[in-house]
Amino acid sequence: MINDYQTHNCKILKVESESSDSKIFTLSLPYKDFSFEAGQYVMASLPGFGEAPFSINSYFNEKKFIQLTIRKVGVLTSEINKKKKGDIIGIRGPYGNSFPIGIAKGKNVLIVAGGIAIEPVRPIILDAVNNPQKYKKVFIFYGCRDESAMLYVKEYPSWKKACDLNVALDNPKSKKYIKGPVTILFDVVNIPTDSIAYVCGPPIMYKFVLAKMLEKGFRPENIFISLERHMDCAQGVCQHCAIGTKYVCKDGPVFSYAELKDFKTWLSPI
Amino acid sequence: MNKTQFSKFVEYLLKNNNVIAPQYNVEAKLIIAELKKTSDFYMGTELPLDSWKWFLLPPKQKMFDYKGEKMTEALPSVKKQIFLGVSILDMQALTLLNQIFEQDPYYQEIKKNTIIIGTSHMPKDNFSEYFAKFEENKLEHLQFDIFLAVQNGGYKIYTGSEDGQRFLDNFKYKDYKHVEYAGPIREEGLDLQMVSVMDGMQNFHDQKIWDDLGKRCISCGKCTIACPTCFCFRMFDKSHLEQGSGERNRCWDSCFYNEFTQVAGVAPSAPKHRLMATTAQKIYFWYEHHFVRTPGTYSLPGCVECGRCTRACPADIDIFQTQRDILAARNKKKEK
Ligand code: SF4
Ligand code: SF4
Repeated sequence: MINDYQTHNCKILKVESESSDSKIFTLSLPYKDFSFEAGQYVMASLPGFGEAPFSINSYFNEKKFIQLTIRKVGVLTSEINKKKKGDIIGIRGPYGNSFPIGIAKGKNVLIVAGGIAIEPVRPIILDAVNNPQKYKKVFIFYGCRDESAMLYVKEYPSWKKACDLNVALDNPKSKKYIKGPVTILFDVVNIPTDSIAYVCGPPIMYKFVLAKMLEKGFRPENIFISLERHMDCAQGVCQHCAIGTKYVCKDGPVFSYAELKDFKTWLSPI
Repeated sequence: MNKTQFSKFVEYLLKNNNVIAPQYNVEAKLIIAELKKTSDFYMGTELPLDSWKWFLLPPKQKMFDYKGEKMTEALPSVKKQIFLGVSILDMQALTLLNQIFEQDPYYQEIKKNTIIIGTSHMPKDNFSEYFAKFEENKLEHLQFDIFLAVQNGGYKIYTGSEDGQRFLDNFKYKDYKHVEYAGPIREEGLDLQMVSVMDGMQNFHDQKIWDDLGKRCISCGKCTIACPTCFCFRMFDKSHLEQGSGERNRCWDSCFYNEFTQVAGVAPSAPKHRLMATTAQKIYFWYEHHFVRTPGTYSLPGCVECGRCTRACPADIDIFQTQRDILAARNKKKEK
């Protein structure tokens, strides 16, 4: 019978250094006709070092390769970070649901991201860059530790052609960026509250960002959040990612805030 | 089937098969193990300490062999096994596992080599309203091959599969009734008690229950090992001495362990982030899995009220009592 744990070997086509501890890996497609939607993820692995979930950060209409941004945080990610062009990474997926971007067509869009968690929303940004007419106005609120932690900096000029990019840093080294948490941007940028919002960040960010958004008048059903969880199986069995009656791995990783609100346990279990 | 015929049937099964059955060990503990002789077989109301999951979902399982970059599927090599004397409560647990691991090639490989012979025996201190009384129509929602309904002087025999029928036919026993499996979900829905506990946890949350349990529980995870409906697992690789080769495995995990919900911290040097940090949160998650998540996602009971977790718990945490507490808190808040 079909074994969904079977990985597909992907060749590394290109490795680019990003920020102080992350790299973008451009990979060959895991199999013919592989396709994915913005917000979905794959399980990436190296034999001997295990597996972990990574969201796909490339543009979903790109049919020749996929990209993963991998930060050195543990054994597997450190090992992957040693890999070079031509080496192999094992991939299975794609898994999970996606950001509902169809509903944002012709509307204002707000993307809120913290640190490395900008990676799951990059496909939406690339969509806006590739289709400047698709959305009304696209705002990006990006919060980071400092300049060295910022991702995809080289792409900002092209992003800025289609998006209003705003960055806030905890400890900026230069005067170029606003100092403070990402929530500060809601007070300096006049953001239309009818925007469809896509939010992704470390767990600590949600409480403050969501409170701010509700205060500004955003509606819970227009806020879509991508959650990060420990995952082993990626198919709703192993229980590591469970929240309430849902599994982040297969019912998520994207949930609307209207949906999440009802789970006592989505930020922490009680 | 009278008692003498039944003994002969067990004898018959033992002749050519690997029979797994409840039996007392040298320490007078009721365990499940390979049955060597008919007289060792225990058939009665007491539930074995461990559950049948040990033989369907082994604690550790190899999933793949790897050499270099090549991952090769490693299905378990299993010999046919017969589970003899599975309590109807445990049949409910196995029916749930069958659903959960429906798409799992490792589980299915073992399951297709397993014959289940159940009984209507129930533990004396039973908490399950649904199974308190055996009724024939309950069988159609359980997966089994042969079922022994206790009656005066012996058993009334049912079959739940063609394999079961074949066994009885070959034994030249004709006095059985066949029950066609109608899927795991009961037309009338979950039993009311299960629905009330679920409602209590979801809509009448009483933090005190969980804080109290959190103070007593020592996060040892014994309950998760004992429970027939606990199946969490984690995956891990193990390399062999020969460079570039090894295996990808999975093993039971427990939501009481600290690493269960661990993800990377905000920075490489930052501490790992754990979504469940306190014992109260962990034990809540455990109950939530049994009484909210499983009934919510599978429309099946996530707890079969076998009481094994209570027996295993060094802190005397009693699952029946906790359910009573959840129900009491619900009633109290409902009255208001
Ligand atoms: S009573 Fe305890 S051990 Fe038995 S099924 Fe329920 S939770 Fe599991
Ligand atoms: S067996 Fe008891 S003490 Fe141990 S983890 Fe379970 S509830 Fe806590």
